[in-house]
Amino acid sequence: MYQALLTRRYLTSKVMPLLASLAVVLCTAMVLITWSVMGGFLLNLTQAGRSLIGDVRIAWPNVGFPHYEDLIQRLEEHPEVEAASPIIETFGMITLLENRTEGILIRGIDGESFARVTNYADTLWWKPLDEPMQKDKAGDDVRLEPGDRDLLRRVYDDGLSLTEIDPDTGVRESALVLGIEVGGWNVRTDWGGYYPRVQFITGSDGSSEMQNLFMPAGGELTVLVVPLDSRGRPMEAVTSRLPVANEFESGLYDVDRQTVLMDLKALQRMLRMHPAKRVVRSDRDEADPLGGFFEEDDTANAAPEPEIVEDPGRVTAVLVKQADPDGDVEAFRERCRAIYAEFAADHPDVPGAGSIGVETWEDANRMMIGAVKKETGLVLIIFTFISFTAVFLVFAIFWAMISEKTKDIGVLRALGASRMGVAWVWLRYGLAIGVVGSLFGGLLAWAIVTNINEIHEGIALSGDWLGRTLTGTAWNWYIWDPKVYVFKEIPHSIEPWKAAFVLVGGLLSCLLGALLPAARAARMHPVQALRFE
Amino acid sequence: MSTVTAQTPVPTEPASSGPLLRVAGLHKTYRLGRVDVPVLHGVDIELGRGEWVAILGASGSGKSTLLHLIGGLDRPDKPAGGRPGATIRFESQDVVAFSHAELNRYRCRDVGFVFQFYHLLPELTVTDNVLLGAMIRLGRFGYMSERAALHETAARLLDAFGLKSRLRHKPAQLSGGERQRVAIARALINDPSLLLADEPTGNLDRKTGAAILDVLAEIRRERGQTMLMVTHDPEIAARADRIVELVDGRVAAQKH
Repeated sequence: MYQALLTRRYLTSKVMPLLASLAVVLCTAMVLITWSVMGGFLLNLTQAGRSLIGDVRIAWPNVGFPHYEDLIQRLEEHPEVEAASPIIETFGMITLLENRTEGILIRGIDGESFARVTNYADTLWWKPLDEPMQKDKAGDDVRLEPGDRDLLRRVYDDGLSLTEIDPDTGVRESALVLGIEVGGWNVRTDWGGYYPRVQFITGSDGSSEMQNLFMPAGGELTVLVVPLDSRGRPMEAVTSRLPVANEFESGLYDVDRQTVLMDLKALQRMLRMHPAKRVVRSDRDEADPLGGFFEEDDTANAAPEPEIVEDPGRVTAVLVKQADPDGDVEAFRERCRAIYAEFAADHPDVPGAGSIGVETWEDANRMMIGAVKKETGLVLIIFTFISFTAVFLVFAIFWAMISEKTKDIGVLRALGASRMGVAWVWLRYGLAIGVVGSLFGGLLAWAIVTNINEIHEGIALSGDWLGRTLTGTAWNWYIWDPKVYVFKEIPHSIEPWKAAFVLVGGLLSCLLGALLPAARAARMHPVQALRFE
Repeated sequence: MSTVTAQTPVPTEPASSGPLLRVAGLHKTYRLGRVDVPVLHGVDIELGRGEWVAILGASGSGKSTLLHLIGGLDRPDKPAGGRPGATIRFESQDVVAFSHAELNRYRCRDVGFVFQFYHLLPELTVTDNVLLGAMIRLGRFGYMSERAALHETAARLLDAFGLKSRLRHKPAQLSGGERQRVAIARALINDPSLLLADEPTGNLDRKTGAAILDVLAEIRRERGQTMLMVTHDPEIAARADRIVELVDGRVAAQKH
């Protein structure tokens, strides 16, 4: 009882414990804010990584596998499967404006099913907007232009279908959808958006002509791929000139910088993976050592009629989305593997269930996710070490307080308090500082994290105003500059278990800091304590 | 001054006919660095029930040490060199043989301390200071269940000492005499059998000191309280029933 009374009185009548509480508040808030922002960053990154993959990918790279329509049908019949979509992934080259050629990842997609499996539609950049983006305070986004709504709506639909109407022929033709950073013809704005680059060309007569570089049309880009035969051997490179239907922003710079989407069927044709008829002369192909040369009168060995074989189209992967977005993705992968096994049993010309790659979106992004997790862990360890100063602060304050309160300890012992009772006064006191510090630290962190973008904006505006006032030039105090980062907002996510972990950590730190001083108080000899000067 | 009573009725007759406290062969040596400093050299004292005894001695004579040993704040020297061990017998109990827990209980229930410098806890109010001993004795639940009665007892004690209007004051807001009266009330809250006062007037002017002695005399008269008071002032010692003079750690004389 007396411990509670003394804790209460010491807490409310001393400045030092308030300083200790303040240190705990700041340390707790610092760790929680860091964890929340890094956690939010990881979450955004993984969601971005998931945006164009779906939940599970069944893949047989390069050569691909046939009968994928049957596999998709089997998958979509399962109640756990929301949708499935075929894709081809291959490496190739793209020749951009002014013959700039780059190596890229080309993904052939079926726009309609791909949009059902992924959030492809959301990633398409050029579309009409009703509201400006959060950071676009001035409403400068070109997509807000009322006069361009029809054009942007058409461009958006073109992006979904990966086709575009040829302005010369009026025929709808296959088109590309580029990662927003691939073409290099978009300028990143201060608020994290894009507007089309405009350049001026000086003519021979000295006149200057403005050229709008917004998504080249009319087959101005050239895509080059190298098809493989059924045994994986490279064949002659194939090129195709295509227009740009739209651009996408996935949220991952590497993807936006190196990925080009095109219509699945068009890419199948370029890679010789489309459905086709093939003439097979089995005697020549398989048994005849002379290579199909026959004697005219040798009726017994007369050449049989050539057989026409229909080769089904192939894809390198099928993406699958699970019906329950929060479901166990590992279990879902095993479900997909089982469905593939049944499919493979019915089709001897597809890779076996043991060989095919079946991976979750987390597996597919494990390098990126792993790196960010490691970074988060590292930053947390550093900040936890920094926060450990709170332990020493509590220790130092308590040590000094126990020296100051030596006589009080002597009095308590003289009144019959046990050693443990005296120790508990200080442990309880440390615990109280920990509870107060952790709770207020948690509240501070919550207040900062939930308003972090507003606070950030306020800091940036202060820099802007202060710079203009003092030097005439705005100071850029943006820490999370949307011009630099893929995410326009500072990501954040406070998870209850993380908050609980940090708060308990803060509390235990105080207890740890109070431990030695409490032991010192408990070990004090009552007579020496009473005689202490 | 009104009647001084704690929570239990005061026995006017002793519970048994023997002395309340009997001390025999008490030796105590302190170690200062590498040097042993003997303070008490075989002190023998008896304290009858309801008796007020003053230990009179000059500074360094060992009187405070004697008080601490009797109050269980320290332990006497162990038997050594053929010398028998000390005896501190309180009622029928051997205080020297007490474990740590038993010593705590002894200090809490059987003994009340009054110090020269009051030793009130500055953060607590007068009432809280007085109730501190009861909180230690009863623990959280015991104290909560008797809280109202204890507050009433504390208020009555403080009222008896003329501190009715000071219940919510902090020690810093009180005069020296008032602080010492609060300290006496604190010592009495658990209704101890033995009150130990270490120079209770040593930090007060003569007039205030005399008033404190009046309070002690009142307590003794009203409660039949057994008291052992340490002082260096023969005039103050003269207020007691008996004076035990201590010189260089030995009982030099006893006067009634």
